Amino acid sequence: MKVFFPGWHWLAALMAALTASVALAAPAAMLNLPDFDALAAKATETVNISLDPALLGLAAGFLDSSNPDDAATKELIAGLKGIYVRNYTFDQDFSYPSAQVDLVRKQLAAPAWQRLVEVNNTKDHTHVQIYVAVDRGVANGLAIIASEPREFTIVNIVGAIDLAKLRRLEGKFGIPKLDLPNGKDGQAK
Amino acid sequence: MSDDRHEPESNDLERRLRAALKPVNPGEGFTAGVMARVAAEPRPARRPRSPAVVSWLAFGLAASVVLAVLLAHEWQVRRIEQGREARRQLIEALRVTDEKLNLAYRVVNSRQDAAPAQHSGA
Repeated sequence: MKVFFPGWHWLAALMAALTASVALAAPAAMLNLPDFDALAAKATETVNISLDPALLGLAAGFLDSSNPDDAATKELIAGLKGIYVRNYTFDQDFSYPSAQVDLVRKQLAAPAWQRLVEVNNTKDHTHVQIYVAVDRGVANGLAIIASEPREFTIVNIVGAIDLAKLRRLEGKFGIPKLDLPNGKDGQAK
Repeated sequence: MSDDRHEPESNDLERRLRAALKPVNPGEGFTAGVMARVAAEPRPARRPRSPAVVSWLAFGLAASVVLAVLLAHEWQVRRIEQGREARRQLIEALRVTDEKLNLAYRVVNSRQDAAPAQHSGA
């Protein structure tokens, strides 16, 4: 198993970096996602979500501030300019081409993007890359590319997202409860 | 010469005009009389609109109101649907994001668990 990993504080660093970032999103933080026709054609399940600022605002309007979960979600997306998710599930292993995926990876280049985490589990054939968009020293975007044998996912969040707030939503709305590190030493909660 | 000859006629005309145009008190019953005559005179009949025109006007007005209400209702319904769908997509996007962050952590965590085992085995 090969792991490119700067240290065990990676998630804490990610949270800190994104929490401290400003709400203004540079255009560089928004990826140009291809249609992924080849992936969609072979996928048994497709999730294609594009929430631009207008739709985010509309969604926020339908979150009930008197409901704690909705209020937390509203707070979480307050600094966001867009959320773009492409998720494809397949019924066979490795049935998706990598050409279109490489088109996205090419965009995640320095200096606009910095790779925060890359984990590659050869046993499970799982490859996850987490990038953060940095503009003048401020993080204003997040990109996740996750390749699994039967699933491929790209997440692009434009704007400042506080992952600590995202964690508070775990167990709500179907968001799974995670065992992410919660201490100074990166110990699991 | 000729002016002298016309002067008496001019004065006479002026005097008669003054006499004819001098203010006259209309009397106490004048206003009442005028009002009575006005009331007694038949009013000019308005040209009656044909019943068909009136019906069409009423129908057009009613149809416009109904159409406006329907459009407003339709807009409101679509807005609510769009909002609910946007909310659903937002929650789904956050779920997927959280899931993939967890995946990254699990891979890292499995390596962390494997490392001490290797050390203890050696």
